[in-house]
Amino acid sequence: MRERDGRLAVWGIMALLVALHFYVRPRLFAGRAAPDFLLVALLLYAMRTRPGAAAVAGWVVGVTVDVLGPARFGAGALAHTLVAWLASWGRSVFFADNVLVNAGFVAGGLWVRNMITLMASGSTSADLVTAATLWSPLQALSTAVTGTLVFILFRDLLAPRGDR
Amino acid sequence: MRHLPDRSPTRRDALLLTSCVVLSGAALITPTSLTQSLANTLRATALRPVVWLQERAVEGRTSRSRFQALEAARDTLALGVLDRSALQQENDRLRRLLDVGPRLGMPFVGAEVLHQPVPTDGRTLLLSVGWEDGVRQYDIVLVPEGLLGVVAEVGPRSSIANTWAHPEFRVSGVTADGAVLGVVAPGASTLATDAILEFRGVAYRDTLDVGTVVVSAGLGDVYPRGIPIGQVIGIRQEQPGWERVYALRPLVNPGIVSHVLVARPARAPSPLIPGDSGGS
Repeated sequence: MRERDGRLAVWGIMALLVALHFYVRPRLFAGRAAPDFLLVALLLYAMRTRPGAAAVAGWVVGVTVDVLGPARFGAGALAHTLVAWLASWGRSVFFADNVLVNAGFVAGGLWVRNMITLMASGSTSADLVTAATLWSPLQALSTAVTGTLVFILFRDLLAPRGDR
Repeated sequence: MRHLPDRSPTRRDALLLTSCVVLSGAALITPTSLTQSLANTLRATALRPVVWLQERAVEGRTSRSRFQALEAARDTLALGVLDRSALQQENDRLRRLLDVGPRLGMPFVGAEVLHQPVPTDGRTLLLSVGWEDGVRQYDIVLVPEGLLGVVAEVGPRSSIANTWAHPEFRVSGVTADGAVLGVVAPGASTLATDAILEFRGVAYRDTLDVGTVVVSAGLGDVYPRGIPIGQVIGIRQEQPGWERVYALRPLVNPGIVSHVLVARPARAPSPLIPGDSGGS
Protein backbone atom coordinates (compact mmCIF):
# COMPACT_ATOMS: atom_id res chain seq x y z
CA MET A 1 0.00 0.00 0.00
CA ARG A 2 2.82 2.35 1.04
CA GLU A 3 4.79 1.46 -2.09
CA ARG A 4 1.72 2.14 -4.22
CA ASP A 5 1.30 5.59 -2.63
CA GLY A 6 4.96 6.30 -3.34
CA ARG A 7 4.55 5.37 -7.00
CA LEU A 8 1.46 7.54 -7.28
CA ALA A 9 3.36 10.44 -5.77
CA VAL A 10 6.22 10.03 -8.28
CA TRP A 11 3.76 9.90 -11.17
CA GLY A 12 2.09 13.01 -9.74
CA ILE A 13 5.44 14.84 -9.70
CA MET A 14 6.05 13.78 -13.31
CA ALA A 15 2.62 15.03 -14.37
CA LEU A 16 3.46 18.31 -12.64
CA LEU A 17 6.75 18.53 -14.58
CA VAL A 18 4.97 17.84 -17.88
CA ALA A 19 2.48 20.62 -17.09
CA LEU A 20 5.37 22.93 -16.19
CA HIS A 21 7.07 22.05 -19.47
CA PHE A 22 4.13 22.78 -21.73
CA TYR A 23 2.35 25.53 -19.80
CA VAL A 24 4.66 27.37 -17.42
CA ARG A 25 7.93 27.28 -19.42
CA PRO A 26 6.47 29.00 -22.53
CA ARG A 27 4.98 31.70 -20.28
CA LEU A 28 8.08 32.41 -18.21
CA PHE A 29 11.13 31.47 -20.21
CA ALA A 30 12.23 32.31 -23.72
CA GLY A 31 15.39 31.45 -25.59
CA ARG A 32 17.68 28.50 -25.91
CA ALA A 33 18.74 28.43 -22.26
CA ALA A 34 15.22 27.71 -20.98
CA PRO A 35 15.07 24.74 -18.58
CA ASP A 36 13.85 21.43 -19.95
CA PHE A 37 11.30 20.08 -17.46
CA LEU A 38 10.61 17.05 -19.64
CA LEU A 39 14.23 15.93 -19.35
CA VAL A 40 14.10 16.41 -15.57
CA ALA A 41 11.03 14.15 -15.46
CA LEU A 42 12.75 11.57 -17.67
CA LEU A 43 15.93 11.51 -15.58
CA LEU A 44 13.90 11.36 -12.40
CA TYR A 45 12.18 8.26 -13.74
CA ALA A 46 15.37 6.79 -15.20
CA MET A 47 17.26 7.10 -11.92
CA ARG A 48 14.53 5.13 -10.13
CA THR A 49 14.06 2.31 -12.61
CA ARG A 50 15.90 -0.40 -14.55
CA PRO A 51 17.98 0.59 -17.60
CA GLY A 52 15.65 -1.18 -20.04
CA ALA A 53 12.54 0.61 -18.81
CA ALA A 54 14.51 3.87 -18.75
CA ALA A 55 15.51 3.36 -22.40
CA VAL A 56 11.88 2.81 -23.41
CA ALA A 57 10.77 5.92 -21.47
CA GLY A 58 13.59 7.87 -23.14
CA TRP A 59 12.46 6.70 -26.56
CA VAL A 60 8.87 7.80 -25.88
CA VAL A 61 10.00 11.23 -24.66
CA GLY A 62 12.36 11.51 -27.64
CA VAL A 63 9.62 10.73 -30.15
CA THR A 64 7.48 13.40 -28.46
CA VAL A 65 10.31 15.91 -28.86
CA ASP A 66 10.81 14.89 -32.50
CA VAL A 67 7.13 15.31 -33.25
CA LEU A 68 7.04 18.80 -31.76
CA GLY A 69 10.27 20.10 -33.30
CA PRO A 70 11.56 17.78 -35.95
CA ALA A 71 14.93 18.96 -37.17
CA ARG A 72 15.37 15.33 -38.15
CA PHE A 73 12.90 12.71 -37.01
CA GLY A 74 14.62 10.08 -34.88
CA ALA A 75 17.45 12.28 -33.58
CA GLY A 76 15.62 13.17 -30.38
CA ALA A 77 14.48 9.58 -29.87
CA LEU A 78 18.04 8.29 -30.16
CA ALA A 79 19.44 10.99 -27.85
CA HIS A 80 16.82 10.55 -25.12
CA THR A 81 17.07 6.75 -25.26
CA LEU A 82 20.83 6.81 -24.72
CA VAL A 83 20.70 9.51 -22.02
CA ALA A 84 17.96 7.70 -20.06
CA TRP A 85 19.88 4.42 -20.28
CA LEU A 86 23.10 6.09 -19.14
CA ALA A 87 21.30 7.84 -16.27
CA SER A 88 19.81 4.59 -15.01
CA TRP A 89 23.06 2.66 -15.38
CA GLY A 90 25.14 5.54 -14.05
CA ARG A 91 22.97 5.87 -11.00
CA SER A 92 23.65 2.25 -10.09
CA VAL A 93 27.40 2.80 -10.49
CA PHE A 94 27.82 6.25 -8.93
CA PHE A 95 25.05 5.88 -6.39
CA ALA A 96 24.69 8.64 -3.83
CA ASP A 97 21.48 10.39 -2.95
CA ASN A 98 23.09 13.77 -2.96
CA VAL A 99 21.71 17.03 -4.30
CA LEU A 100 24.93 17.83 -6.15
CA VAL A 101 25.12 14.37 -7.72
CA ASN A 102 21.53 14.68 -8.92
CA ALA A 103 22.21 18.17 -10.30
CA GLY A 104 25.29 16.80 -12.07
CA PHE A 105 23.25 13.98 -13.59
CA VAL A 106 20.68 16.44 -14.92
CA ALA A 107 23.25 18.91 -16.28
CA GLY A 108 25.39 16.17 -17.84
CA GLY A 109 22.33 14.43 -19.26
CA LEU A 110 21.10 17.58 -20.94
CA TRP A 111 24.50 18.40 -22.44
CA VAL A 112 24.92 14.86 -23.81
CA ARG A 113 21.31 14.89 -25.11
CA ASN A 114 21.92 18.13 -26.99
CA MET A 115 25.17 16.90 -28.50
CA ILE A 116 23.68 13.60 -29.70
CA THR A 117 20.63 15.40 -31.09
CA LEU A 118 22.77 17.84 -33.04
CA MET A 119 25.11 15.17 -34.38
CA ALA A 120 22.25 12.85 -35.39
CA SER A 121 20.38 15.69 -37.11
CA GLY A 122 23.32 16.58 -39.34
CA SER A 123 24.26 19.92 -37.82
CA THR A 124 27.20 21.96 -38.99
CA SER A 125 30.37 22.15 -36.94
CA ALA A 126 29.49 25.78 -36.13
CA ASP A 127 26.19 24.70 -34.58
CA LEU A 128 27.96 21.97 -32.62
CA VAL A 129 30.63 24.29 -31.25
CA THR A 130 28.09 26.96 -30.30
CA ALA A 131 25.85 24.42 -28.62
CA ALA A 132 28.71 22.66 -26.84
CA THR A 133 30.32 25.79 -25.45
CA LEU A 134 27.50 28.27 -25.00
CA TRP A 135 23.85 27.26 -25.20
CA SER A 136 24.03 23.72 -23.84
CA PRO A 137 26.03 24.68 -20.72
CA LEU A 138 23.58 27.52 -20.04
CA GLN A 139 20.57 25.27 -20.55
CA ALA A 140 22.24 22.53 -18.49
CA LEU A 141 22.68 25.04 -15.66
CA SER A 142 19.06 26.24 -15.73
CA THR A 143 17.77 22.66 -15.98
CA ALA A 144 20.05 21.48 -13.16
CA VAL A 145 18.75 24.29 -10.92
CA THR A 146 15.19 23.26 -11.78
CA GLY A 147 15.98 19.60 -11.11
CA THR A 148 17.63 20.46 -7.80
CA LEU A 149 14.57 22.42 -6.69
CA VAL A 150 12.37 19.44 -7.57
CA PHE A 151 14.65 17.05 -5.67
CA ILE A 152 14.70 19.32 -2.63
CA LEU A 153 10.96 20.04 -2.62
CA PHE A 154 9.97 16.39 -3.05
CA ARG A 155 12.94 14.78 -1.35
CA ASP A 156 10.85 12.48 0.86
CA LEU A 157 8.71 11.28 -2.01
CA LEU A 158 11.67 10.74 -4.32
CA ALA A 159 13.92 8.95 -1.83
CA PRO A 160 14.82 5.33 -2.63
CA ARG A 161 12.13 2.96 -1.41
CA GLY A 162 14.21 1.51 1.41
CA ASP A 163 14.68 4.96 2.93
CA ARG A 164 11.10 6.10 3.13
CA MET B 1 25.57 4.59 1.62
CA ARG B 2 22.00 3.74 0.93
CA HIS B 3 20.83 0.41 -0.35
CA LEU B 4 19.22 0.10 -3.74
CA PRO B 5 18.20 -3.09 -5.49
CA ASP B 6 20.76 -4.31 -8.02
CA ARG B 7 20.16 -2.48 -11.28
CA SER B 8 23.05 -3.67 -13.38
CA PRO B 9 21.78 -4.24 -16.94
CA THR B 10 20.35 -7.66 -17.73
CA ARG B 11 19.84 -9.27 -21.14
CA ARG B 12 16.26 -7.95 -21.18
CA ASP B 13 17.51 -4.40 -20.56
CA ALA B 14 20.04 -4.75 -23.37
CA LEU B 15 17.32 -6.02 -25.68
CA LEU B 16 15.06 -3.06 -24.89
CA LEU B 17 17.91 -0.59 -25.43
CA THR B 18 18.83 -2.22 -28.74
CA SER B 19 15.20 -2.13 -29.89
CA CYS B 20 14.88 1.57 -29.07
CA VAL B 21 18.17 2.43 -30.76
CA VAL B 22 17.22 0.41 -33.87
CA LEU B 23 13.80 2.11 -34.04
CA SER B 24 15.44 5.53 -33.70
CA GLY B 25 17.98 4.67 -36.38
CA ALA B 26 15.21 3.45 -38.67
CA ALA B 27 13.38 6.75 -38.16
CA LEU B 28 16.56 8.63 -39.08
CA ILE B 29 16.91 6.85 -42.41
CA THR B 30 13.21 6.76 -43.28
CA PRO B 31 12.21 9.24 -46.01
CA THR B 32 11.19 12.62 -44.60
CA SER B 33 7.76 12.51 -46.26
CA LEU B 34 6.85 9.40 -44.26
CA THR B 35 8.18 10.61 -40.93
CA GLN B 36 6.54 14.02 -41.36
CA SER B 37 3.13 12.50 -42.04
CA LEU B 38 3.59 10.33 -38.94
CA ALA B 39 4.58 13.42 -36.94
CA ASN B 40 1.53 15.29 -38.24
CA THR B 41 -0.75 12.44 -37.20
CA LEU B 42 0.76 12.29 -33.72
CA ARG B 43 0.53 16.08 -33.30
CA ALA B 44 -3.14 16.01 -34.28
CA THR B 45 -4.05 13.06 -32.06
CA ALA B 46 -1.96 11.82 -29.13
CA LEU B 47 -0.05 15.06 -28.61
CA ARG B 48 -2.95 17.41 -29.34
CA PRO B 49 -3.48 18.16 -25.60
CA VAL B 50 0.12 19.28 -25.05
CA VAL B 51 0.14 21.40 -28.23
CA TRP B 52 -3.13 22.99 -27.08
CA LEU B 53 -1.66 23.62 -23.61
CA GLN B 54 1.43 25.27 -25.07
CA GLU B 55 -0.66 27.41 -27.42
CA ARG B 56 -2.66 28.75 -24.44
CA ALA B 57 0.57 29.44 -22.55
CA VAL B 58 2.14 31.35 -25.46
CA GLU B 59 -1.06 33.34 -26.01
CA GLY B 60 -1.10 34.22 -22.32
CA ARG B 61 2.51 35.34 -22.41
CA THR B 62 1.94 37.40 -25.53
CA SER B 63 -1.16 39.09 -24.16
CA ARG B 64 0.61 40.08 -20.94
CA SER B 65 4.21 40.96 -21.61
CA ARG B 66 3.96 42.13 -25.19
CA PHE B 67 0.83 44.22 -25.02
CA GLN B 68 2.66 47.55 -24.90
CA ALA B 69 5.01 46.56 -27.73
CA LEU B 70 2.06 45.53 -29.87
CA GLU B 71 0.25 48.76 -29.09
CA ALA B 72 3.30 50.76 -30.18
CA ALA B 73 3.59 48.69 -33.36
CA ARG B 74 -0.10 49.26 -34.10
CA ASP B 75 0.31 53.04 -33.68
CA THR B 76 3.27 53.03 -36.06
CA LEU B 77 1.28 51.03 -38.58
CA ALA B 78 -1.69 53.38 -38.24
CA LEU B 79 0.57 56.30 -39.16
CA GLY B 80 1.93 54.34 -42.10
CA VAL B 81 -1.57 53.53 -43.32
CA LEU B 82 -2.47 57.23 -43.31
CA ASP B 83 0.38 57.91 -45.75
CA ARG B 84 -0.43 54.81 -47.74
CA SER B 85 -4.00 55.74 -48.66
CA ALA B 86 -2.82 58.65 -50.85
CA LEU B 87 -0.23 56.40 -52.50
CA GLN B 88 -2.82 53.71 -52.99
CA GLN B 89 -5.17 56.10 -54.77
CA GLU B 90 -2.37 57.34 -56.99
CA ASN B 91 -1.31 53.78 -57.76
CA ASP B 92 -4.88 52.74 -58.61
CA ARG B 93 -5.25 55.77 -60.93
CA LEU B 94 -1.98 54.96 -62.74
CA ARG B 95 -2.96 51.30 -63.11
CA ARG B 96 -6.28 52.34 -64.65
CA LEU B 97 -4.48 54.70 -67.02
CA LEU B 98 -2.10 51.91 -68.10
CA ASP B 99 -4.91 49.38 -68.20
CA VAL B 100 -3.18 47.18 -65.63
CA GLY B 101 -5.28 44.99 -63.33
CA PRO B 102 -5.38 45.51 -59.56
CA ARG B 103 -2.44 44.30 -57.55
CA LEU B 104 -3.02 40.86 -56.07
CA GLY B 105 -3.25 40.77 -52.30
CA MET B 106 -1.45 38.39 -49.97
CA PRO B 107 -3.85 36.71 -47.51
CA PHE B 108 -2.31 35.79 -44.18
CA VAL B 109 -3.07 34.29 -40.78
CA GLY B 110 -1.37 35.10 -37.50
CA ALA B 111 0.34 32.27 -35.65
CA GLU B 112 2.07 31.68 -32.34
CA VAL B 113 5.50 30.06 -32.37
CA LEU B 114 5.68 27.11 -29.97
CA HIS B 115 9.38 26.94 -29.10
CA GLN B 116 10.84 23.68 -27.83
CA PRO B 117 13.85 23.48 -25.49
CA VAL B 118 15.96 21.43 -27.91
CA PRO B 119 19.15 22.58 -29.64
CA THR B 120 17.60 22.39 -33.11
CA ASP B 121 14.81 24.83 -32.21
CA GLY B 122 15.23 27.84 -34.46
CA ARG B 123 16.07 25.73 -37.48
CA THR B 124 12.51 24.41 -37.59
CA LEU B 125 9.63 25.98 -35.67
CA LEU B 126 6.27 24.57 -34.62
CA LEU B 127 3.45 27.00 -35.51
CA SER B 128 -0.02 27.02 -33.97
CA VAL B 129 -1.91 27.06 -37.28
CA GLY B 130 -2.57 24.32 -39.83
CA TRP B 131 -4.64 23.55 -42.90
CA GLU B 132 -7.87 24.08 -40.97
CA ASP B 133 -6.74 27.73 -40.67
CA GLY B 134 -5.98 27.93 -44.39
CA VAL B 135 -2.23 27.29 -44.20
CA ARG B 136 -0.64 25.32 -47.04
CA GLN B 137 2.83 23.93 -47.74
CA TYR B 138 5.26 26.60 -49.06
CA ASP B 139 3.32 29.48 -47.52
CA ILE B 140 5.84 32.04 -46.33
CA VAL B 141 6.45 32.96 -42.70
CA LEU B 142 7.02 36.64 -41.94
CA VAL B 143 7.50 39.01 -39.05
CA PRO B 144 7.39 42.82 -39.32
CA GLU B 145 11.19 42.94 -39.67
CA GLY B 146 11.30 40.59 -42.64
CA LEU B 147 11.40 36.99 -43.85
CA LEU B 148 11.63 34.17 -41.30
CA GLY B 149 11.12 31.09 -43.48
CA VAL B 150 8.66 28.86 -45.26
CA VAL B 151 6.04 26.32 -44.18
CA ALA B 152 7.49 22.87 -44.77
CA GLU B 153 4.78 20.61 -43.38
CA VAL B 154 1.14 21.22 -42.51
CA GLY B 155 -1.12 19.35 -40.10
CA PRO B 156 -4.76 20.07 -39.28
CA ARG B 157 -4.06 22.51 -36.41
CA SER B 158 -0.30 22.97 -36.48
CA SER B 159 2.53 23.23 -38.97
CA ILE B 160 6.30 23.11 -39.19
CA ALA B 161 8.26 26.00 -40.69
CA ASN B 162 11.83 25.81 -41.94
CA THR B 163 13.57 29.06 -41.01
CA TRP B 164 16.50 30.75 -42.77
CA ALA B 165 18.78 28.78 -40.42
CA HIS B 166 17.70 25.49 -41.98
CA PRO B 167 20.48 24.02 -44.16
CA GLU B 168 18.05 23.61 -47.08
CA PHE B 169 16.81 27.22 -47.02
CA ARG B 170 17.35 29.14 -50.29
CA VAL B 171 15.74 32.31 -51.62
CA SER B 172 16.57 34.40 -54.64
CA GLY B 173 17.61 37.82 -53.40
CA VAL B 174 18.12 41.26 -54.84
CA THR B 175 19.41 44.49 -53.40
CA ALA B 176 16.67 46.94 -52.39
CA ASP B 177 17.45 49.12 -55.45
CA GLY B 178 17.03 46.09 -57.72
CA ALA B 179 20.56 46.33 -59.13
CA VAL B 180 22.25 43.13 -57.94
CA LEU B 181 20.82 39.63 -57.96
CA GLY B 182 21.98 36.53 -56.09
CA VAL B 183 20.90 33.59 -53.98
CA VAL B 184 20.58 33.82 -50.19
CA ALA B 185 21.47 30.74 -48.14
CA PRO B 186 22.53 30.00 -44.55
CA GLY B 187 26.23 30.61 -43.94
CA ALA B 188 28.35 27.49 -44.25
CA SER B 189 30.78 28.60 -41.59
CA THR B 190 32.92 26.68 -39.16
CA LEU B 191 33.08 29.64 -36.77
CA ALA B 192 30.74 29.34 -33.84
CA THR B 193 29.92 33.04 -33.74
CA ASP B 194 28.76 33.24 -37.36
CA ALA B 195 24.97 32.80 -37.39
CA ILE B 196 24.68 34.60 -40.69
CA LEU B 197 23.34 34.32 -44.20
CA GLU B 198 25.32 34.34 -47.42
CA PHE B 199 24.41 36.28 -50.56
CA ARG B 200 25.90 34.02 -53.21
CA GLY B 201 26.44 34.26 -56.92
CA VAL B 202 27.01 38.02 -57.06
CA ALA B 203 28.87 38.95 -60.24
CA TYR B 204 32.44 40.06 -59.54
CA ARG B 205 31.86 43.40 -61.25
CA ASP B 206 29.10 44.28 -58.74
CA THR B 207 30.12 45.75 -55.42
CA LEU B 208 27.82 46.05 -52.42
CA ASP B 209 28.32 48.53 -49.59
CA VAL B 210 28.08 47.47 -45.98
CA GLY B 211 24.52 48.11 -44.78
CA THR B 212 22.85 47.39 -48.13
CA VAL B 213 19.51 45.68 -47.55
CA VAL B 214 18.80 42.51 -49.55
CA VAL B 215 15.17 41.61 -50.24
CA SER B 216 13.51 38.65 -51.92
CA ALA B 217 13.67 38.88 -55.72
CA GLY B 218 10.37 37.18 -56.45
CA LEU B 219 11.92 34.48 -58.64
CA GLY B 220 10.96 30.87 -58.10
CA ASP B 221 7.27 31.17 -57.28
CA VAL B 222 7.59 30.73 -53.50
CA TYR B 223 8.70 34.09 -52.09
CA PRO B 224 7.16 37.28 -53.49
CA ARG B 225 9.39 40.22 -54.32
CA GLY B 226 10.38 42.81 -51.77
CA ILE B 227 10.49 41.00 -48.41
CA PRO B 228 13.55 42.13 -46.42
CA ILE B 229 15.98 39.28 -45.69
CA GLY B 230 19.23 40.71 -44.39
CA GLN B 231 21.81 43.46 -44.42
CA VAL B 232 25.28 43.23 -45.97
CA ILE B 233 28.04 43.15 -43.35
CA GLY B 234 31.00 42.38 -45.58
CA ILE B 235 32.58 40.13 -48.19
CA ARG B 236 32.58 36.48 -47.20
CA GLN B 237 34.73 35.11 -50.02
CA GLU B 238 35.53 35.89 -53.62
CA GLN B 239 36.71 34.16 -56.74
CA PRO B 240 38.64 36.86 -58.60
CA GLY B 241 37.07 37.64 -61.95
CA TRP B 242 34.09 35.44 -61.31
CA GLU B 243 31.91 36.00 -58.22
CA ARG B 244 31.72 37.36 -54.69
CA VAL B 245 29.85 35.92 -51.73
CA TYR B 246 28.64 38.56 -49.27
CA ALA B 247 27.81 37.98 -45.61
CA LEU B 248 24.34 39.12 -44.54
CA ARG B 249 23.13 39.80 -41.03
CA PRO B 250 19.61 38.32 -40.91
CA LEU B 251 16.89 40.77 -39.93
CA VAL B 252 14.95 38.17 -37.94
CA ASN B 253 16.12 36.01 -35.04
CA PRO B 254 14.24 32.68 -35.16
CA GLY B 255 15.24 31.83 -31.59
CA ILE B 256 13.19 34.57 -29.94
CA VAL B 257 10.34 35.30 -32.34
CA SER B 258 6.98 34.53 -30.73
CA HIS B 259 4.31 35.70 -33.18
CA VAL B 260 4.46 35.38 -36.99
CA LEU B 261 2.35 35.92 -40.07
CA VAL B 262 1.83 32.99 -42.41
CA ALA B 263 1.09 34.45 -45.85
CA ARG B 264 0.23 32.95 -49.19
CA PRO B 265 1.51 35.00 -52.11
CA ALA B 266 -0.35 34.86 -55.41
CA ARG B 267 1.31 32.20 -57.52
CA ALA B 268 1.16 31.31 -61.16
CA PRO B 269 -0.87 28.14 -61.75
CA SER B 270 1.31 25.08 -62.14
CA PRO B 271 1.60 23.90 -65.77
CA LEU B 272 1.61 20.33 -64.43
CA ILE B 273 -1.99 20.56 -63.25
CA PRO B 274 -4.39 19.47 -66.02
CA GLY B 275 -6.69 22.27 -67.04
CA ASP B 276 -4.31 25.01 -65.82
CA SER B 277 -1.94 24.68 -68.74
CA GLY B 278 -3.69 26.94 -71.08
CA GLY B 279 -6.87 26.99 -73.05
CA SER B 280 -8.54 29.37 -75.37
